[in-house]
Amino acid sequence: MSKLLNWVDARFPLSEFVKQDLTGYPTPRNLSYWWNFGFLAGFVLVLQVVSGLFLAMHYKPDASLAFESIEHIMREVNYGWLIRYIHSTGASAFFAVIFIHMARTLYYGSYRAPRELMWWTGQGLLLLLMATAFFGYLLPWGQMSYWGAQVITNLFRATPFFGDEIVIWLRGGFSIGDATLTRFFVLHYFFPFLIIGLVLIHLVALHTVKSSNPSGINLAAKDNIPFHPYFTAKDLYGLGVFLIVFCFFVFFSPEFFIEADNNIPANPLKTPAHIVPEWYFLPFYAILRSIPDLLGGVVAMGLSVVIFAAMPFLDRSHIPGGARYRPVYRILFYIFVLDFAVLTYVGAVPPSGSLVVIGQVATFIYFALFALLPFISKAEEKWLCKRGLPAEVEELLKSKSSPDKFNCPL
Amino acid sequence: MNQKTMTFLLFGSFLFLTANSRASSDVSLAEVDFDHSVENIKSGAQVAMDVCRLCHEFKYIKYRNLLEIGFNKDEVDVLRGDMPLNTSILSTTKPEIASKLFGMMPPDLSLMAKARRGGARYIYTLLTSYSMDAEEHVDNKLFPGIKMPDPFAYAIRTDDVRQKELDQRIENVSVFLQWTSDPKAKERRRTGYYVIAYLIVLTFLFYLLKRKVWRTLK
Ligand code: HEC
Repeated sequence: MSKLLNWVDARFPLSEFVKQDLTGYPTPRNLSYWWNFGFLAGFVLVLQVVSGLFLAMHYKPDASLAFESIEHIMREVNYGWLIRYIHSTGASAFFAVIFIHMARTLYYGSYRAPRELMWWTGQGLLLLLMATAFFGYLLPWGQMSYWGAQVITNLFRATPFFGDEIVIWLRGGFSIGDATLTRFFVLHYFFPFLIIGLVLIHLVALHTVKSSNPSGINLAAKDNIPFHPYFTAKDLYGLGVFLIVFCFFVFFSPEFFIEADNNIPANPLKTPAHIVPEWYFLPFYAILRSIPDLLGGVVAMGLSVVIFAAMPFLDRSHIPGGARYRPVYRILFYIFVLDFAVLTYVGAVPPSGSLVVIGQVATFIYFALFALLPFISKAEEKWLCKRGLPAEVEELLKSKSSPDKFNCPL
Repeated sequence: MNQKTMTFLLFGSFLFLTANSRASSDVSLAEVDFDHSVENIKSGAQVAMDVCRLCHEFKYIKYRNLLEIGFNKDEVDVLRGDMPLNTSILSTTKPEIASKLFGMMPPDLSLMAKARRGGARYIYTLLTSYSMDAEEHVDNKLFPGIKMPDPFAYAIRTDDVRQKELDQRIENVSVFLQWTSDPKAKERRRTGYYVIAYLIVLTFLFYLLKRKVWRTLK
């Protein structure tokens, strides 16, 4: 065995890789359970790829067969119901995990130098995930699949000059049809390859800059511990908890994430009374609807998703550390989470009088938080310097071996 | 307020708002405590075959599936006539005639319970919402203007005994339709108990492992 390993090692840095990047990978000892979600995202990705592969063996991307093939999977294929419910619940789990992963990054300031590339590749992954989910949602060919795709592709009508042409080009016809279904299936199968590629880049970047930690300040080398066995054990425990929640939905409430209307076959002649996207698109959908003008709404919605990428520029404070040591930033974070929840709610219900206004206010707050951050973060920096940094931060910074340096006033 | 409470409250409110937005709007449905026993499913199937099949199809249920809910071979043979065992249960009225009669095709019923919010409760409420107004005009309170004629003549029920009997039959049909929409539900839940129990034990072991490993850390 060791002979074989030596043979491989002489040709490929296997042992070195395992030691440096898996078992011995230096990890801050103070990571909280919020740091489990990166691993969980990777796990859900694998789960989706594997369950998706098995679904694709039985699914028929043909407008006249798609809906029935899903019922075939649910009723005739051995454990087809399990595979399909894992996949449909997995999509929601993926977004839940990613949203928490992003919230953690925002809270602890993990997007700040030197982790900007992690944040930006993460932003790219969010976009790819959204696209993949959107393509996938058409495949069951139910009413909500059909009309959701109709509404979203229709947004491209807002493109100046070529609006109509682009919509037809995307759909492969004047409306959603067989051509659209086939291409969405192909893209839904293809995009995960891009996701896997970008995840690898995300991980290479991670192993260059290393994990951030709850203090938001890079720790001295002595405060890092090897990934194995400490974080393998911790990740396994987190995975167990995750799986309990996940399996609860898969086995006991699998239709919770499926709109009832999607159990009606797509009917181009009958618009559902109330078209709603999947829950993970609701906040952005609410922003789209809050702006009366189509082009404006589309731009605002797009911006609301990609604006996260600007965080490293918008946050101008030089004080190391995450929200734990930044009281003002912390309040902004909490307002943001609450605002996101309100937008989710507004996106889910039919627009009516006061809710329209609430949606508009929430949209305004959403962007205002980002727009004001440069000024607020600068003011917070001044204020904290005057008041004196928290003792814990001072101590972490003073410890000679911390790579972070900061002196007040600048 | 400490941070843990804060996080808890925020994510809690997030879940509450999301869940609420999905659960709304089936408040008007009847509260029924359905008995999903195989006997009820079977009697519901009998009613469905006698009444609903006149107009509706059960596309995703095959005659042989009836064997899973307590029908025996002979009973199924009576129902299927000369149709093969492995065919979907179609309406006894030809589609062309049905669509001429109602101006539309009566929808497939086998997925109906999943295709309406409230599932069996929706179907029960729908069928018990027929009533007659002063001009002896029958309509449905849940679905005004519905093109389906009152299948049980519920609107002209005469006395309490009759009403009780009808309610029971409607309940059974609803339970049957719940089953046709999700025939694997029982198997799924049974598997689920084992899976969750297993995961709880496994997670507890992982927790002990984690504690043990981390204790070695100074
Ligand atoms: C005489 C023909 C006929 C019979 C018998 C019949 N239905 Fe219907 N049913 C219809 C028609 C027609 C519609 C379409 C109604 C509409 O959309 O306006 C319908 C629609 C429905 C719907 C869908 C309502 C909705 O929300 O869109 C349900 C549920 C239903 N029927 C259940 C039943 C059940 C259960 C039975 C057996 C007890 C039954 N039907 C018997 C003709 C019939």
